[in-house]
Amino acid sequence: MVMVTKVPPRPRPGARPARLRRAAGPLLAAGVTAASLAAVPATAPAAAAEDGKSGGTTLTVAVSQSIDSLSPFLAQKLTSTSVHRLAYEYLTNYDPKDARTVPGFATEWSASADKLTWTYKIREDSTWSDGKPATAEDAAWTFTTMMTDPDAATANGNFTANFEKVTAPDPRTLVIRLKKPQATMTALDVPIVPKHVWEKVGDFSKFNNDRSFPIVGNGPFVITDFKVDQYIKLRPNKTFWRGAPKFDELVFKYYKDGDAAVAALQKGEVSFVPNLTPAQAAALKTQKDIKVNDAPGRRFYALATNPGARAQDGTAFGNGNKALLDPAVRKALFLAVDRATLVDKVFQGHAVEGEGYIPPRFGSYFWKPEAARKRAYDPAAADKTLTDAGYVKNGAGERLGKDGRPLSFRILCHATDPNDKAVAKYLQEWWGRLGVGLTVECLDSVSDPWTKGDYDLAFDGWSVNPDPDYVLSIHTCGTLPATAKDTGATDNFICDREFDGLYAQQAVEYDPAKRAELVKRMQSRLYDTGYMNVMAYPNALEAYRTDQIASLTTMPEAAGNIWGQDGYWSWWSAVPAAGSGGSGSGSSTGVVVGIAATVVVLAGGFLLLRNRRRAGADDRE
Amino acid sequence: MTSLAWERRKGSAARLWRSYRSHRAGLYGLAGLAALALLALTAPLTVGADVQSVTHAPGTALEPPSARFPLGTDRFGRSLLGLLVWGARISLLVGLLAAVLSVAIGTLVGVLAGHYGGWFSTVVMRITDWFLVMPTLVLAIVLATVMSRSVWTVVLAIGVTSWPTTARLVRAQTIAVESRPYIERATALGGGHRHVMARHVLPNVMPLVLAQTTLGISAAILTEATLAFLGLGDPTVVSWGGMLQDAREAGAVSSGHWWYLAPPGIAIALVALAFTLCGRAVESVLNPRLGVGR
Repeated sequence: MVMVTKVPPRPRPGARPARLRRAAGPLLAAGVTAASLAAVPATAPAAAAEDGKSGGTTLTVAVSQSIDSLSPFLAQKLTSTSVHRLAYEYLTNYDPKDARTVPGFATEWSASADKLTWTYKIREDSTWSDGKPATAEDAAWTFTTMMTDPDAATANGNFTANFEKVTAPDPRTLVIRLKKPQATMTALDVPIVPKHVWEKVGDFSKFNNDRSFPIVGNGPFVITDFKVDQYIKLRPNKTFWRGAPKFDELVFKYYKDGDAAVAALQKGEVSFVPNLTPAQAAALKTQKDIKVNDAPGRRFYALATNPGARAQDGTAFGNGNKALLDPAVRKALFLAVDRATLVDKVFQGHAVEGEGYIPPRFGSYFWKPEAARKRAYDPAAADKTLTDAGYVKNGAGERLGKDGRPLSFRILCHATDPNDKAVAKYLQEWWGRLGVGLTVECLDSVSDPWTKGDYDLAFDGWSVNPDPDYVLSIHTCGTLPATAKDTGATDNFICDREFDGLYAQQAVEYDPAKRAELVKRMQSRLYDTGYMNVMAYPNALEAYRTDQIASLTTMPEAAGNIWGQDGYWSWWSAVPAAGSGGSGSGSSTGVVVGIAATVVVLAGGFLLLRNRRRAGADDRE
Repeated sequence: MTSLAWERRKGSAARLWRSYRSHRAGLYGLAGLAALALLALTAPLTVGADVQSVTHAPGTALEPPSARFPLGTDRFGRSLLGLLVWGARISLLVGLLAAVLSVAIGTLVGVLAGHYGGWFSTVVMRITDWFLVMPTLVLAIVLATVMSRSVWTVVLAIGVTSWPTTARLVRAQTIAVESRPYIERATALGGGHRHVMARHVLPNVMPLVLAQTTLGISAAILTEATLAFLGLGDPTVVSWGGMLQDAREAGAVSSGHWWYLAPPGIAIALVALAFTLCGRAVESVLNPRLGVGR
């Protein structure tokens, strides 16, 4: 795997209420209603009070996704890898302007003529936060550990799988010897850890790097505290070679409910909130001191069909519908999906219609089918495709499969993602007109049926990094599970020899233009296999308080995103606003308060009645 | 059945109605329920099933209330008033079915335990106690999570978790009924277990069961709404709890779209209130201790 930002299969926009904490009882729903209505006006603790606490400035970021591990060898989730970007240096970084490779821990690099030996010059002005110098020896140790200990290769092992030997002939030189050429050598997204701290760790599969704080690192920030699902606190690294960050403290604070995070932003309790809904963004736009950032996203949002799950040893497993193995059925289903309407209605325009595979934001790799090949919305053609392929409608308007039974599919959706449910509603209606049934199966965690191949269709999505190797690799045969019992890195059990051939070619191609051409051909092939329908590239919809953050760098610098960047730019560059005073903008309508009160009163009356009734019942017994 | 028995039943029903009429709150509840039932039953004629369609949604997303959409629109541009009326069907259906299921289980367990007594009763009542101390919602959430998401799952989850109260009440009533002399006479005349339970005990616990059902419906509707609100309902079915969940997911709370949240919430509260008023009135009519004799 070549990317830092694994978000399998999608970043969860943590939208789950604190469900078990609420008292059980008949009053519950009314109580919940009242609570949610009251949520906006009720949260009134001191706004932006942190600023005054230590005399310093605090940047608070609302997050929802849990940390899987603080160990760079294990962390795969977006929040964790974002924190690691801040706390550790990587050999190289990406320029915020155009995402080209820029110096990180290494200042310069070169490949030998046979493309198999890479030499990196390590910078002299980087020190660990405990004062020890950071050297090539640390990098060599990090890579060697990942090569020799399978547990240490959990998160980023894909980078080092092709490494033969990594050495540090002197503290400023790192030499990596490869087995065969590797195109990702200037995009090695591996946090370099301090050898003198980490060589004491015994079992990398168990060590989560969350025991002693501050955690020794050499990135722009130092992790000073962490409480599971509560907060992660960081302080700036004053000796950071690129310059110390401007804020005095950076806090990632957990809000499992999106509305609660937005309310906190309105109150000034947090400075930044990612993953807004269109309604939230529209409401925040009109508010004073809040800037809404609506940037092209780096994620694709797709419909995946089960191509017949199987393992590398050839055993088929799972219970995917056999009808989907027929290209005509898949084509007809995709032809009946109106992507423009989805962008317009579900994403409210905060997305770009899906085309090939890699989002248009990565211009050099972006590919889209020419007009004649494009699977444009055409329900009539979809109907004809099915009929021509021998799937006819019965008297009740149901489309019959080859076995004579009505065609009906299941779709796996993320219960935590409102967009999945919304799109599913549209799919039900569009496909219903074709006479094809659709059952929506929403689960909190889809990974179980997914890895077992127990699905017909699924909502799929990945964040794409500047180097597309990883998102391409997950469709190669090599990532299928070894046996039916294993779990592979495969996204959707796609295994296509032609695609694999192109993947192998691009992996060893050092010429950027030629590689980009190969990557486009891969996308073209993937499109033709017809297993996936990329519906949209959702925008990054996020907001921050301008009275707390004066400025920060987006990526790309022109109209880019803030959260989940390929680098530490946003928080490293953030400048505190002058005299950031707390201004609780309690502009939420009084109507809401009124309704909340009404509901509370109604609920109270109900409670009263219940109690009186109970008294009666007790008497009787 | 003899005509005499029918006469007697008719008379007692009339008596029942007369004393029910004297409870004004009960009448309000009944009127509310009648109106709501009418609304739900005629929904296919008034709003039509098309109101659920997202592809034919008439408005734009999250419109505030207007003459065209008296309660505004949801995130798909569907009329919220239409959805509210349509959602009443599912909410009421689930509430009724779940309450009936729950009371049926409770009655069965209660009558059996009360009639047979002994170790059987002890074992059954310990199981009942176990269910009684388990928080209903937690159990229902677990059930709704492990089973596939559909309306029937919700009915089942509520039904099988909320029966213990009924079981306890019915068992007590069964014991009280069976201690009466006429049961002894029936047994002496050769009435078997089934005869006693079906012909003598059941008719006597029926009023209690009726009251319990009426009260159970409001609890079931609330639980259904809660489960749907927590995202455990069927996302493709329109119900009041589901509407609240939709509203929350669309960010209606923080963006001040009160018209998305308030109507389903108030509707849930009102229906629960109506059923409770009716249930209380029925209960006080049937309970001699509460001062209305037969």
